[in-house]
Parts: sequence; C-alpha cells; structure tokens
Amino acid sequence: MNPKPLGDTAVTRRGFFQLSMGWVAGTFAVAATAIATVRFLVPNVVFEPAQLFKAGAPEDYPDGSITFLEDERVFVLRRGNTFRCLSAVCTHLGCTVNRSDKGFHCPCHGSVFNRDGAVVSGPAPRALTWFLVTLSKDNRLVVDKGQNVAHDKYLIL
Amino acid sequence: MNDTSLQKFYGWFSVLAILVGVLAGVGYYRDEYRPWKDYQKRFIAEEVRRAPSPDQKLQAARTPLQIRQILLPELNRVDRCTTCHLAVEDPTYGGFPQPLAYHPQHDQHPFDKFGCTVCHRGQGRATTADDAHGSVEHWDQPMLPLKFIEASCGQCHEASDNPAAPRLARGSQLFETVGCRGCHKLGGVGGVVGPELDRVGARRSPDWLRAHFLEPAAVTPGSGMPPQKFSEPDVEAIVLFMLSQTGAELPGFYASMKVLPSAAQGQHLFQQKGCIGCHSLGGQGGKVGPALDDVGLRRKPEWIVQHFRDPQTVSPGTVMPRFGFTEAEARALTDFLLHQREQKVALSLPSLMGPVERGREVFRKYGCVGCHGPEGKGGVPNPNAKTAQQVPALTYVADGYTKPEVVKLILNGQHEIAALDPARPAPPLYMPAWGSTIKEGEIDDLVAYLFSLKPKGEDLGF
Amino acid sequence: MVPHHLWTWFASTRVGRSIFRVGPPHSNLERSQAMVSSLLLHVQPAKVNRHALKASYSLGLGLISLYLFFILIGTGTLLMFYYVPSTTQAYDRMKDLQFVVSAGLFVRNMHRWAAHLMVAAVMLHMCRVFYTGAYKAPREFNWLVGVGLFLTTLGLSFTGYLLPWDQLAFWAITVGTNIAGYAPIVGPKLKYLMLGGNTVGQEALTRFYALHVIVLPAIGGLGVAIHMWRVRKDGGLSRPDEPVSVAESLPLAQLPTNKSYGLMELARGTTPQVGRDPDDEVFSWPSLIFRELVLFLVVVAFVLFLAIFWNAPLEELANTIHPPNPAKAPWYFLGLQELVSYSAFWGGVAVPALIVTALVVLPYLDRGREGVGVWFARERRVATTVFSVCVAVAIALTVVGTMFRGPNWGWVVPWRTPPPAMEGH
Repeated sequence: MNPKPLGDTAVTRRGFFQLSMGWVAGTFAVAATAIATVRFLVPNVVFEPAQLFKAGAPEDYPDGSITFLEDERVFVLRRGNTFRCLSAVCTHLGCTVNRSDKGFHCPCHGSVFNRDGAVVSGPAPRALTWFLVTLSKDNRLVVDKGQNVAHDKYLIL
Repeated sequence: MNDTSLQKFYGWFSVLAILVGVLAGVGYYRDEYRPWKDYQKRFIAEEVRRAPSPDQKLQAARTPLQIRQILLPELNRVDRCTTCHLAVEDPTYGGFPQPLAYHPQHDQHPFDKFGCTVCHRGQGRATTADDAHGSVEHWDQPMLPLKFIEASCGQCHEASDNPAAPRLARGSQLFETVGCRGCHKLGGVGGVVGPELDRVGARRSPDWLRAHFLEPAAVTPGSGMPPQKFSEPDVEAIVLFMLSQTGAELPGFYASMKVLPSAAQGQHLFQQKGCIGCHSLGGQGGKVGPALDDVGLRRKPEWIVQHFRDPQTVSPGTVMPRFGFTEAEARALTDFLLHQREQKVALSLPSLMGPVERGREVFRKYGCVGCHGPEGKGGVPNPNAKTAQQVPALTYVADGYTKPEVVKLILNGQHEIAALDPARPAPPLYMPAWGSTIKEGEIDDLVAYLFSLKPKGEDLGF
Repeated sequence: MVPHHLWTWFASTRVGRSIFRVGPPHSNLERSQAMVSSLLLHVQPAKVNRHALKASYSLGLGLISLYLFFILIGTGTLLMFYYVPSTTQAYDRMKDLQFVVSAGLFVRNMHRWAAHLMVAAVMLHMCRVFYTGAYKAPREFNWLVGVGLFLTTLGLSFTGYLLPWDQLAFWAITVGTNIAGYAPIVGPKLKYLMLGGNTVGQEALTRFYALHVIVLPAIGGLGVAIHMWRVRKDGGLSRPDEPVSVAESLPLAQLPTNKSYGLMELARGTTPQVGRDPDDEVFSWPSLIFRELVLFLVVVAFVLFLAIFWNAPLEELANTIHPPNPAKAPWYFLGLQELVSYSAFWGGVAVPALIVTALVVLPYLDRGREGVGVWFARERRVATTVFSVCVAVAIALTVVGTMFRGPNWGWVVPWRTPPPAMEGH
C-alpha cells in the first residue's frame, strides 16, 4: 500500500500514523478471525461412545474370566484381584478379534495374538493395545481408552 | 490525476480496523470463557487437594477442561449436566455445595444408561446454568422442583405400587377414588367431558396444575370441573401424579425394566393375569395347578423365576402356558409368591365377588364418583342445570328407571342437559356415552350396584 | 510501517514475484496494471469517474449488499460444518452451536443479522437506483438482472429461514408457502414442487437446504458477476450529464495522447472514454479500492457489533400440530401476509405479480432519458412520487404486520397490550 497519495501532496505525519495503526489493527483482526475460525472447526464434543467409561463392578467379573464388552470393543480380564482391559480392535485394519484357546485371532486377515496381545503371526504390525483401568470412588471399574498401558500393568484391588 | 482526498479516509480506516479487531476479539473471548470452565477448575483443585500422593496430585492437575456429555441415543437426547455436576457419582462429595455435590442413590439408575433429564427434565444439551435448568424462554420442560421428582418415576414404573415413590402412589390412588376418570380419559379409559390427560404432565407446569385443582374455572374459563377439596399433601400427590403423565414412549430396554420387582407389583400382576384360575391361595382359587401358599418353602427363588420365564424348562409337560413375562415381571411375581405369607395379602378376586360388589368396582373404575359423588350421593355442582344445579345423585335410580332404561342411558349418554335459565350458558357437565368403553359383562354388574344404592328398608319398587 | 516493508520485500523475492506479477504500484502504469492483471480486481475498471466515488450519491449500497453476501457465504460455510438438514437433528444441532461449538453462537448471529441486513440493503439499493434514474437506457438490462438478484436474495433468506426447524421457522415457511399456493392454476403445483410434498416436512427441509447452500448462492454469484460487468459496459455508475467540455469539440486526432497504459482494443459502439477529458477520472488503485476497503470495514464492524449484543432467535422445537398464535412470515413477507388477511387472491397473487411485473417492465416503459444521475430529479417528479407512495404503502403494511397484529391476526396496540401468557405457565 503506497503511503504516498498521488500527486504532489506528501502524506502528513498524522496520516502516516493512522495508516500504520490501521494496518496493524487490520492484521490483528485477520489473525483473530483466522484463529477463531480454526477453533470453531475443532469439535468440542464427539457423538461417539465415550473413551472413558464404566465397566461395572469388580464383582460382576468372575475370577479368571475374559469378558467381551460389545459396544466398547474391549475385553475385561480378571485374575484373582487383578484387572486388565484389552482392546479388541485388530491393529492391522481394525476388525474385531475373537478369543481363541491361546489368545486371540482376527477373522479378517488371520492375525494371531497371544494372551498378552502380542502378535504371533499374521499381517498385524503391532500388539493389541492395553487400556488403563482404575477404580472409581463408587467402586466401579473405569476404562480409559485414551490411555495406553503396558501389558503387565494391572489394577490391583 | 490528483487525488488528495484519500487522506481523509486514513482516520476512518484506522478507527474501523481497530474497531473490527476489538469486536472480533470480544466476540470470540465471550465464547471461550464459559462458566463451566470455572466449575471444572474448582473441582480439579479439590481433587488435587484430596489426592494422597504427589504423583496423583500431578495426574489430577492434568485433567483437561472439556465438555462432558452422556449420549443416550435410545432416549433421543444428550445430557451435558456432568460438565458442571462433576461429582454426582462420587459419594465422598456428599453435602458439597452445588454443582459439585454427590447425587444420592446414584446407581439405582446408572447415569450412563439414563442420563439426567429423563428424571429431572430441563435442557440437557445446554452448558450454561440457566439454560440447562430450563427456566428460560422457549424451553417448555423446565427442571422439576425436587419435591415433585417422584413424578418422573411414574413415566416408566406403575404409579400405584411403587415403594420408592409413596406420594406418587397416593396420587394415583386419589385419581381413582375421586373419580377423575368420569370426565377425563387416561390410558384410553374414561369420560369425554374434559380433555384427555395422557400428556398433561408434559404440557402443564406444577403451579398451573395446582391452581387448576383448587379453582378450575379461574385457570380455564368456562370449565365445568368442580373445585377439588384436597388436603395440602393430597394436592401435591395428585399434582405429582399428573406430572408423571407425559405420554413418553419407552424404548425397548426401558420398557422391559418398567415393572419394579416388588412383591406389591407381583401381586398386581398375579391378579391381572388371572393366576387364580388355575392355582389357589388361602384356599381360594382353581385346582388345575398346585396351591401356591408355601411355594417359597418348597422351591428356590431361581427355580420360580425360571418357571415364570419358561415353565417347560423346569416342569416338562406342564400345562401352564408361557406368558412371555419380562425379566422384571418374572422377578416381581417371584417376590410376591415368596412373601405373600408375610404380607397377608387380601386378594380381591373378581370371580369370587357378587354382581353388586363387582358393580362397585366398575363404578370406581370408570370414575363415576367424579360427577355423581361417593356412592352416588351427588353433591357435584353443574351450574344452570335443571336438576337443582347439580349432577343428579343416583341413590334413587331404582325408583325412577327400569333396568333397561338405565342401561340405555349409560351406553348412549345424554349430551343435552336441560338448562334452568336458557339465557345463561349451558350446563358444562353432561353424561358421556360409555358404550364403546365399558365392557360387556360390566354393564349388568354396574346396574346391579346402582339399584342397590337405595337405602335398605325402603320399598324396592318393582 | 513494518507490514509495508515486509510486503515490499516479499513481493520482490522470486517467490513473491511468481505470485504477484505486479509489485506495489508506484506509477500510473503500475496502478492500472494492478487492477487489470488481478483476477479479483479486474472486475472493476482501471479508472473510474470521480462522480462514482461520491458516497452521498450511491450510498455504497450495492457494495454493502455484496459485502454482506461475502459475510454470509463465509459464516454460512462455517455453519455447514455442524448443521444437519434433518427434521430430527436440525434443532439439536442449532442448540449445539449455541452451547458446545466455540464461537458457534457468534457465527450464527453474524449469519442471521447479515441476512436481514442484506435483504434491507438490496431493497435500499433498488430504491437508490430508481431515485437516480439509473435504470434508464442503456442500463435497462442491468436493472432486470438486479430484479433477479433481489428475488434471489429473498429466496435465500426464505430458504434459510426454515433450517433451524423451530416454531418460528416452521410456521413462517408454512405461511409463506401457503401464500405461494394461492396463485391460480400453478399455485398448488408450485407449492408441491417447493415442499417436495404437501406438507412442510423432511422433503421440504432437504430441498430448502439444497437451494440455500448451493443453488441460490450460485445463481446469486453469477448474477452479481453479470451485474458488475454490466455496470462497466453501460458506462460505469450512472452520473449526471456533464457540460460539454472543450475536448469534445476537438477533432479526434487532437485528443490528448497521454493515456499511457496501452490498453487498446477494437470494440463496437462507443466506449465511455470517447470524448471524455481524462481529468474526470481517477485510478481505481488506490482511490476506489481504498474507499471500498473502508466501507468493508464499516459493514464488518456493524455485523460484528450486532452479533455480539443480539442473539439470533431460537424458539421451541417445531410442533407440527400447535402453531404459535399468531404465526408470522419473515418480515419482508409480512406486508403480503397483511394483505392476504384481507384477500387471499389480492395479497397472495395479484399484488406480488403486479410488483414483479411493474419492476420488470419499468425501464422499458420509461423512455425518457432526463434526470439520470441525480436524486429526485424535478423532471421525474411523477415517477418519483408514484414510487415513493408504493414504498410507503409497503412499509406501512409491513409495520402493521410486524407490530400491530396479535393472536388470530387481531389488532393489538404494542405499547399497551401485555404479552400473551404462555400456555401452561
């Protein structure tokens, strides 16, 4: 933007100042608009089953059981007083794995996982994910699918 | 080619650019700083304070500020109350000031299956207090005052036998005994003088309902409904019962849980399903199946429940039909059978009553009391009616009518009521036609009852 | 002046030069090139007549309408990321915009107020063009394009009105489509086509959404392009005839030759520049562009201001059984609704048809060329008066419909009648 007006009249100091202020403010306004637009487009809520959910009382799970929770696509495993939660989503392309004698297998492309979720054979690139399990104040198992843990991290009651 | 006039715009340009910047900033700022964030910060601070170890304190402090919601696709709603009410499931927050207080009995109806607004009403999708509590313009389901919360129980559970909602049960009982059905249909049964009440709880506020009961004509001009003389607790009870009539459709899971597994509910079902036709209790009943008095001593509860679910699986070859009970119903019936000795239930069994007694039941069932008074004694005002400005009493119907005449009057009704003074408005109350509502066997019993109303010792006419 | 030096530096780099082929203009040649070689800016000419820059003449109404259109497209696109055109979801999504989406309410408010302002601006622009006689030859066709744009704007506002699916939306569109249905012969078919059925339901919502987000904006965009192009071809913004200058009486060969921007072409007919003294004109860059920028800031500031302090309405969820009493059409149709309350035929069919017909034939009926470029020219007293009376009547009917009609379309005196008690409260 040429600060000099056409013709012979030079720009006054005041005019220069006003123009600069204007452009600075304008830049700020554009930046604020851009930030607001991006923030607008980032969802604050999702209409999907929650990542963090309650999986019932510890007593609901018999000792030595592996229970499949269909809606959340996880297995809840109990041994004695320890609890773990394993993702049932195959790390290859996302099918739901089934239980087998020696662990889990995926019906889609034949990936085989052992009881700790590690890949035994098949195209899966990574082990199945273990999720953090905690106990809520009202004595319910809480699974957080947003937090992964090692396969040997248990909730011990 | 001189154009010096642009300079005069520089001032405008700078002012406007600053103004736009400020306005955009203000508009965006107002949106980012919402009150729920403050409540969440308070909660996090409290959790940090309570955390026992530094590690846990750190973990608690890292809790992100976010909108929390409970998705309830079957109930067609989303509840965001837990964005502010963060400690509803944490008993250690009992007595904390709102919104961080604990919700008592929180696992009777787990929040992730029921949410909040099915019981408390209000606007679940909102994230600001006033909007969420629903007391704003253009939201017609404001939060129920806590004293009326039992009304929500009645949306799913039977009102009459709910041990956890005694005032609702009282309201339901009042509805039947005062005879509201005589003029109002509820659940498809009742008179047509007044409007149907199936959705009244969704449309009317507690204040309106209360005012309507005490002085109907003040709230609904031209109404013929007589003012009801209720005691204060009874007014609240009947208002509660009305509030529970929201006409809400229950999706599958919720409908199957409708019946409370209580002995009282089981008794209700026992009578409803006609079990007494084949089994006996207290010496009364049928002889096709075994007597049920001591079934609790002979059979385990699980066996009885399974027997209700599918008799053939525990008693192969039995003639007892499979009734198709829901899980809750099976448990309620089992509960009843196990406890009926203790409760000394008095079964009112229709097949064992005489026609007059059955007729009294019919009189109660269709709410005739509402217009004709208790035991047909009259006293209900009907302004400008020729019959002494009242709905006629039925005590002497035996003298004035033959049985066929009475039957005809009940089945066809009488819409035109003779007016005392033709210049004044017509009498608001009239006799509806019950022909399409009343059942085949009921009309004769009802007439028998009506004819029995004449005080004893007087000449029995015909 | 950091931004300026940053810009100058960038524009001289290799990357900068590949994008902006003309750097910041320092000479008249460069000023012309800045306009002509830019995709966006070349819609406007390299030079404009001084008279066109006068705010008091045009009031910038055409530009204001255009800026509002841009704001609506921007905010509308953002809203499309959250809105779902389903009768079961639309209302909930509107609530989510208010409660859950960052700046959701703000963007929605901007969209709503810009929409109302645009309808008003377009109407005011039409009045200005009439009062300055700017529809007369050779601008007749551009007036028609303008009428088309006016109807498109009304269509956009009307189709958008339904999308929140609340009581206000549902019943306003029910009333509006019923008025459309009054047209003889084609009315019921037209209504069926608009609604995709017989009632306002999911089909209507889907159609209105399609019309609102793509069909009508595309027609509007095309119309605006034609409209602005015609302004140029018809000789720029209308202006009063100037006294014949010395230059015009000179033979062609002696005209000043200091037009140095080298834009020459063979064209049929007279161009605006023939016979004109160059001093009448100024370079669009920066004289026009800067003024346009300032006006843009005014419009944006105003829309932002409204959006901060007033919320777009959202009433209860649409209830197909219980209309609010009274059920009113959007404000720009309230005049018609008032007329319809007297006579369905006159209000719903005859008057709208007459209005549109009158608008369409106006420039072809009015053949005189006097009074162009001046407000309320004396030579056009009759036309001005007739038009003003029509406008006054339209405004009066709209005001009556807005403020003086209450339940059952009965008379109310707004400063005396208390608001009706809400049912059940």
